[in-house]
Amino acid sequence: MDIEFYKEQLEAKEDMLARTTRFLLETQKDLEQKNQEVSELYKNVLDSIQVAQRIQDALLPNIDILKSYFKDAAYYVKQQSGVGGDSVFVKNNNEGVVFGILDSTGHGVPAAMLNISCTLLLRELSSSIEINNPKALFNLLDYQLEKTFNKDEEHSVAEAEGIILGYSSHDNTLSYCSAKGRGFLILNSGELIELEKDQKSIGDASEIMFQNIPLCIDEAKTLLIYSDGLTDQFGGKNDKRFSKNRLKNLIEKNYEADAQTLAKILQFEHNAWRNTTQQTDDISFLIIDF
Amino acid sequence: MTSMNISEVEFKLVYQNPYASLYLNEALKLAVCNAEQEYIPIGHFKSVFLQMSALIEQNPIHYLIFDKRNLRTFHQPSMEWYFAVWKPEIKNKGLTHHFKILPNIPWFAKSVEAGKHEIFQKYGTDILEGIQITYVSSIEEVLELIPKK
Repeated sequence: MDIEFYKEQLEAKEDMLARTTRFLLETQKDLEQKNQEVSELYKNVLDSIQVAQRIQDALLPNIDILKSYFKDAAYYVKQQSGVGGDSVFVKNNNEGVVFGILDSTGHGVPAAMLNISCTLLLRELSSSIEINNPKALFNLLDYQLEKTFNKDEEHSVAEAEGIILGYSSHDNTLSYCSAKGRGFLILNSGELIELEKDQKSIGDASEIMFQNIPLCIDEAKTLLIYSDGLTDQFGGKNDKRFSKNRLKNLIEKNYEADAQTLAKILQFEHNAWRNTTQQTDDISFLIIDF
Repeated sequence: MTSMNISEVEFKLVYQNPYASLYLNEALKLAVCNAEQEYIPIGHFKSVFLQMSALIEQNPIHYLIFDKRNLRTFHQPSMEWYFAVWKPEIKNKGLTHHFKILPNIPWFAKSVEAGKHEIFQKYGTDILEGIQITYVSSIEEVLELIPKK
């Protein structure tokens, strides 16, 4: 190797260093620009979601309507991504009040669109049914969803689960209809009775019709209905689901608490369970004190 | 040394200068160019690749491995000559795959990326057409990839 070799190698090394530095600086600049574009897009999406959230929240009921029929009432809705598929429904007339929880398929914007459609349909349909016939509401909603969203689909794209109750203020009776909905009746003694449920979703292709189930509230202290997001949330030391058993234990321990206190306890314990884990699903629950 | 043996495959030495060696296995239609130094001056780089051209003219060679693991200095004009002059001349003469082995040094790989980026800006990415370039980590890996007959 002569001096010329080393001279050429040195020049090549300097050139290599300059070229690579230039390339890295250009790449950094490109990344900064793309980062800026992504940030702007993210902000636009976030702004839209915030507006959409306000629209969806505006459809949530006034809790005072339920408080005018029952000793106390409280509800909680927390969507996974600002907007989502969970909602609480309340509509009263001169016979009494219809109320419940709806959990539309999926999460985020599509679930929210479906949930808003369902809520508006329920509002419209509820004016034409008898208060002690909640199954009629779900059967009609089932038909509307099937007809509107699922008519050309091999598999249903628009489904919802939920539970709807009709309270007649004339004869102090309560009946409910459950589309895979979940709930507990808590008796004065602290005993918990799990609500039965139909194994059919609203909007699915099955021919099964929903049923009315009367609920004896003579010995009842509290009613809790909830969406599966409450019990399916992952968290705790071993990243497990919150679970129905944990919920039951929590209610049994606090069965004497009034609806609003129990709602605060459930929120607190659920948040503590979730801690820093991402929210698994949309969450909603409704509590009534008799 | 007039041959090399890798994974029981014999390669015959067909050309050598102080900076690079050229080996051939006719049965596999595979040639291997080994960088022998940290740096190959452009004159010697061109010599070895022109020898490769002559070899491709005389033999049906489908696969070429350029083993650059000894290199520590990347020379942009050599790479530009490879892409802009040598490759267009050779691309219709039977060579279909060019395997490249880089030294396991991240900044070297980044320098190659920077160099290629400049060449694509200057000549367009059409310059890649004709011969498929694949980066591999060893000659053995190529022997696993190519047909045995």
